Amino acid sequence: MTDSSQPSALTYVVVWVVLAVLATLSLLASYAPLGDWNVIVAFAIATLKAALVFGFFMHLLHGPPLHRIVIVVALCFVALIILGVLADVATRSVASPYVDDVQSQRAVGTATTSSTP
Amino acid sequence: MIEPEVQYDSIERQHATARLGIWVFLGSELLLFAGLLTLFAAYRFQYPAEFRAASAHANVLIGTVNTYVLLTSSLTVALAIHAARHGHRRRIVMFLAITIVLGIAFDVLKGVEYAQHLSEGIAPGHYYSFSALPAHGAVLYFTLYYLLTGLHAIHVTGGLVVLIWLAIKARRGDFTPSSYISLELGGLYWHLVDVVWLFLWPLIYLIR
Repeated sequence: MTDSSQPSALTYVVVWVVLAVLATLSLLASYAPLGDWNVIVAFAIATLKAALVFGFFMHLLHGPPLHRIVIVVALCFVALIILGVLADVATRSVASPYVDDVQSQRAVGTATTSSTP
Repeated sequence: MIEPEVQYDSIERQHATARLGIWVFLGSELLLFAGLLTLFAAYRFQYPAEFRAASAHANVLIGTVNTYVLLTSSLTVALAIHAARHGHRRRIVMFLAITIVLGIAFDVLKGVEYAQHLSEGIAPGHYYSFSALPAHGAVLYFTLYYLLTGLHAIHVTGGLVVLIWLAIKARRGDFTPSSYISLELGGLYWHLVDVVWLFLWPLIYLIR
């Protein structure tokens, strides 16, 4: 890493202002009636903020390619964890296989509601 | 001039290895938190109504203030490293001191939030006794809340210990424009703690 490739103090301050604005946007968006889009907007903004911190504060943009490879590989595994689990739980339509539900279904005449302990 | 360890032909090589090492560690930290965040998301699918009710009971004000606190502390730690690169010793100490104060403020606010929840009987797992929220799903929400924010707070506290050590080193004049690797590594760790919070904040407080 050479000194000339590092961001200036002004760059850091500008990035911080953008991060603060994005945080405020995220807070305001959480009160907007967007339905399912609330989740998507919240995590899109969080991802953008994380990218700014990684890219500028942590010098991932200006540092050696090897650092970027490490983080990209880690993010691929993160994606696998999230997609693998959510592809299952988000598409379940039948009764959930949790123990408390099974027990409530076994109890005589009380099999009407799920998730009641 | 600082001599490298025997296995390196130059101090630059040694520093490059140290940087790669911390990035691999940070990558593993991402996976640790990703697993727990996914667990939270999975239970949210299982108990959507209960999680919605429970998150409406979370303290959005403290959560949001803490977001700005950590974002600002990320800036000050970046500025401390910038000062080290340009050889401004007093500025390194000043920016590290501000970062430490912000980190302590985060932990204190977190403590206030925990105390508030605990006084209502919102405790993790078996010890939960808050009757106003639907039982099963809300217990899971708050147990995971304690697990996720607790693990994160431990990271903040660990980061604070590192920052205090770095501030002492900076005051002693240990950092020169060609030698500030421990400050750089400590800073990277602190930024990651900030990044983790950037995802905990919407997950716990904002999605209702």
